[in-house]
Amino acid sequence: MTVSLGGGSESTTRAAAQPVSWRSSIAARWRTNTSRRLAFGYMLLAPAVLYVLLLVGIPFLFSLYLALSDANVGDPVARFVGFENFRAAMEMDTFWDALRNSIVFLVVAAVFKSLLGTSLAFLLLQNFSGKKVVRALVVIPFTLPISVSVLSWKWMYDSQFSVINWGLHRVGLIGPYGSESWPIWLGQPQLALLACIGVNVWRSFPFGAIVLLAGFTSVPTEVLDAARVDGCTFFQRFRHVVAPMIFPILIIGFLFDTVFTLSDLSVVYLLTQGGPGSATQILPVLAYQIGIQAGALGRGAAIALVLVPLLFPALFLMLRNLKRRDW
Amino acid sequence: MRTAAETRTHRQKEIRRHLLLYAGMTPFLFIAVFPIYWMAITAFKHESDLYRMDNIPFWFNLPPTLKNFEILFYQTNYGHWIVNTLTISAWVALITLLTAVPAGYALARLRLPGAENIGIAIFMTYLVPGIILFLPLSRVVASLGLQDSWWALVVVYPTFTIPFCTWLMMGFFKTVPMEVEEAARVDGCGQLSALIRVVLPVSLPGVLTSVIFAFTLSMQDFLYGLAFVAPGDQKPVPVGVPTELIRGDVFFWGSLMAAALLVGLPVAILYNFFLDKFIQGITGGAGK
Repeated sequence: MTVSLGGGSESTTRAAAQPVSWRSSIAARWRTNTSRRLAFGYMLLAPAVLYVLLLVGIPFLFSLYLALSDANVGDPVARFVGFENFRAAMEMDTFWDALRNSIVFLVVAAVFKSLLGTSLAFLLLQNFSGKKVVRALVVIPFTLPISVSVLSWKWMYDSQFSVINWGLHRVGLIGPYGSESWPIWLGQPQLALLACIGVNVWRSFPFGAIVLLAGFTSVPTEVLDAARVDGCTFFQRFRHVVAPMIFPILIIGFLFDTVFTLSDLSVVYLLTQGGPGSATQILPVLAYQIGIQAGALGRGAAIALVLVPLLFPALFLMLRNLKRRDW
Repeated sequence: MRTAAETRTHRQKEIRRHLLLYAGMTPFLFIAVFPIYWMAITAFKHESDLYRMDNIPFWFNLPPTLKNFEILFYQTNYGHWIVNTLTISAWVALITLLTAVPAGYALARLRLPGAENIGIAIFMTYLVPGIILFLPLSRVVASLGLQDSWWALVVVYPTFTIPFCTWLMMGFFKTVPMEVEEAARVDGCGQLSALIRVVLPVSLPGVLTSVIFAFTLSMQDFLYGLAFVAPGDQKPVPVGVPTELIRGDVFFWGSLMAAALLVGLPVAILYNFFLDKFIQGITGGAGK
């Protein structure tokens, strides 16, 4: 950045100092304008780039270093320990539970989100009165601050006064409180994981629907009409016209959601803290508990970094998608 | 021309279509809205009304009360948290504005070499999970001496608002016609004054959107607030409510839901107004 700044002012002075032939003065002016524009551009860009570099770029590299050191909260001197943290993490049973749960969580949630999101998008694609109100209401889940909506769910999942169970009991699907068929949502291992996934699905499927809807509406009606005139059925139109056109948007929505689902700790942290046992333990919560609560910064960083290979395919796809776009 | 009978069957068809659509929409509406309804009704219920299994829980069995809100404001730090949240978000919005708007302009308009790659690189940092950054950032926060105050969050939140808003502003500036700016330049404006006098006023809706998103994204965070701010009176609402209003195993659901409702609804409404811009922002303007 500084190089081009220096270059800019230098050529300015040179151009001013030499009144030469017509042709070279054009060249000089072009150079001056260009370098001035570049200097101006980089100057405007610098604050944002510096902020991101200093507080995202360097910390990211530093977390790689932390993962390879025995850094602790109480002890400022960290020694290099190689892959010791990763080895130690792999010896923990909880780590494997967390890894498995993270993947199960991601996959199961993605299936439900796609189903619900697609059906909602198709419904919202139709014209009907009150559509604006309906849309505003169905997107509430992902516009609420997440920690706040998780609290509401925690109350609905309450072991004794759960409104979900009250409803199920009245309909006759489960027995009364205390009976065996009365589910304790956050207390039984498999139900607890399901309950956490449920909140994630509830929060994100409207997002999927809205992104999909944006994709659908971006397909020009002329193209669809042309396909209809050519005799394509609904499914052929969808398969050969709509799907390829909305694919880039779908990828972006899907990957966004993957990144946030994999790295979000608030749902599990607030609902179950990873319990009962480690039935709902996931990598972000484990990284937080070990890195901050137990103070083992290095170990915590190592566990958090396990997310990187999981996220890598998603980020790679996204990058390719963005680069192919028209600029 | 349509005959009366044709109009009637057409109307009947329309009504049937609407009924079908509403029937399909109802479960989605119920799933989406019920937790908010439950939050709202709990907030106005007496403590004893919450724990009675024999009553129908979906409505008031005792008259509604404001007691939960009273407890919230007189017996907890809730007032502090609201002030903290608003001040943090205002600072973050300001920092974001001062960095992301110029950066977005430079990347969209000044034909910088490598602008595309720089733009993508900045955007990708938005996707680096906080859970990977929060340990090193806790060191940064500690070395700045900010670990016990909400200022830590003012420093940290721009790490996700700057990338997002830069990307958003890039899209906005691309839609401003080049001629507007060229005309200003012909009239003798310098680069900077053309930007400030001509381009910015035209892009005001975009700038406003960035401010709203810096604001609401700050209020969505839970992790950084949880990790970096320990003192009870320094927390923002989304962290203070779940960590301070729950004492051990005791949940004061009425007050908890009142607290959640008071912060949740304004954010949801604000966000909703700018939803389309949000979708445009992340899909790169493809949903226009």
